[in-house]
Amino acid sequence: MMASITSPDRRDGVDARPPAEGRAAPPSVRPTGAEPASGSAPGSDAATGRPGRRMRRRSQIFYGTLGVAAIVATWQILSMVVNPAIMASPGATAVALARLAWGSELWLQLLITLRRLVLGLAMGSALGFVLGVLAGLESRVRAFLEPIRGVAVTVPAVIFALLALLWFGLGDLTVIFVVAAIVVPLVYVNTLAGVLAIDHRLVEMGRVYRFPRRLMFSQIYMPGIASPVLAGLTLAAGWGVRAVVLAELLGAMNGIGYAFSRAMSYLETPVLFAWIMVLLGLTAALEFGVLRPLRRRAMRWRGRADS
Amino acid sequence: MIVLDNVGKRFDDLTVLEGLDLRVDQGEIVGIVGPSGTGKTTILKLLTGIVEPDEGRVTVPEGPLTYVFQEPRLLPWRTALDNVAVVLRAKGMGKSAARTEATGWLERVGLKGFENYHPEELSGGMAQRVAIARALAVQPRVLLLDEPFSNMDTALEIALMDLLQMIIEGNSMTVVLVTHDLTEALRLADRIVELTPEGRLRDLDVSDRLALAEEWLSAKIRPRS
Repeated sequence: MMASITSPDRRDGVDARPPAEGRAAPPSVRPTGAEPASGSAPGSDAATGRPGRRMRRRSQIFYGTLGVAAIVATWQILSMVVNPAIMASPGATAVALARLAWGSELWLQLLITLRRLVLGLAMGSALGFVLGVLAGLESRVRAFLEPIRGVAVTVPAVIFALLALLWFGLGDLTVIFVVAAIVVPLVYVNTLAGVLAIDHRLVEMGRVYRFPRRLMFSQIYMPGIASPVLAGLTLAAGWGVRAVVLAELLGAMNGIGYAFSRAMSYLETPVLFAWIMVLLGLTAALEFGVLRPLRRRAMRWRGRADS
Repeated sequence: MIVLDNVGKRFDDLTVLEGLDLRVDQGEIVGIVGPSGTGKTTILKLLTGIVEPDEGRVTVPEGPLTYVFQEPRLLPWRTALDNVAVVLRAKGMGKSAARTEATGWLERVGLKGFENYHPEELSGGMAQRVAIARALAVQPRVLLLDEPFSNMDTALEIALMDLLQMIIEGNSMTVVLVTHDLTEALRLADRIVELTPEGRLRDLDVSDRLALAEEWLSAKIRPRS
């Protein structure tokens, strides 16, 4: 039972490539004809592709910063030629933002909106995910849900907001309902696509090796659908932010959306622009603080294989 | 004992197997040879139970059954080590014990040092060796091999066959190997049956293996008239 391959594996193919970071060192002598798929010049940094990636990253940051600078410059120029009542300058916006942040107003409204957004996203995503999995596994469920999906993706968010206002009145429930209603079909469609695209050869392997349901789910189904589900969540987060603001604008007495409408009513243009900045900050925090790390974690194996 | 009794299998209107009889004794290594598309893989799938026969009866002994597929079928998001460990965990082994055991099996197939590589980082032959380690790790009672050496060079193929032979003999495993390469079957199998294009099995006389191999090779390289 203790047999192992020693020959001809250890005759040729000296491997001088250093082990990649965090991995066990490959044997000093590698089996004949057994080049790792990602092998490259022995001993060089190019073997891992790190300097190339670093350069690419730097270049991305540079051009991204350039893009932001272009937006701010255009904004500044426009604010100099357009009536300040309808276009606040970046400077005036920054002052308004600082005033909001200094008091409790910004944090209070932000927390209210964030709470509604998180609840709506969580409920909508959970429902969309469960329905997507069920529809992916059972064609009858898929056929049953198809007309509902069709309606859900074509009805504009404002209609959901007006209906929710009619049903639930002003307040949290209306806003959370609108966010969830917008998010459900997005997560559903992506989850369904993921389940339908699962590699059936791997499922077959799991069945042959008698994987219990728990392992089938955690080792085959979940990693298999992670990519489209996370794409759906990313989409849902973006649409969720839009929906929460719209719903608050129409159906709430507080939150960022309500603050928008109040600033507009009082023609406080710099404050309106400051709230836009808050919203952009919220979206960026969601993307960089939650979604991107999640995607990186789930897709880590791909990044490693590419390196 | 593995028994296929008058087994028939159709896919839609296409009859793949008809009136198929096969018996494989415990500890026996049987090679099934035949050209591509004759239903060799279907026989293995019938033995796993993931495909049901339309006619006849399939009997497989109780106990672990493993399958080395034509392609490695490794989980792309798991390392080589985890790909082997996961089948041990499916058998109920603890995570840490499974990883220790899997490390030993990777070493046995010549992949020491590659435990933390993902399948995409391995060559086709290396990935297939991980698949072989995965199949052997659970110490199966029945081992099914579906052209498992097709991605490997000859030297590695022979080395792996030697290893397989040693492990199989030490564990009285029942093995069914399907291949289109008769020489592969001649090296590993005690008995060889040929699956004809009509979906029937015919025993080959393996008393003179060298002559059989020569005959097969000469037929293979004979210029078409």
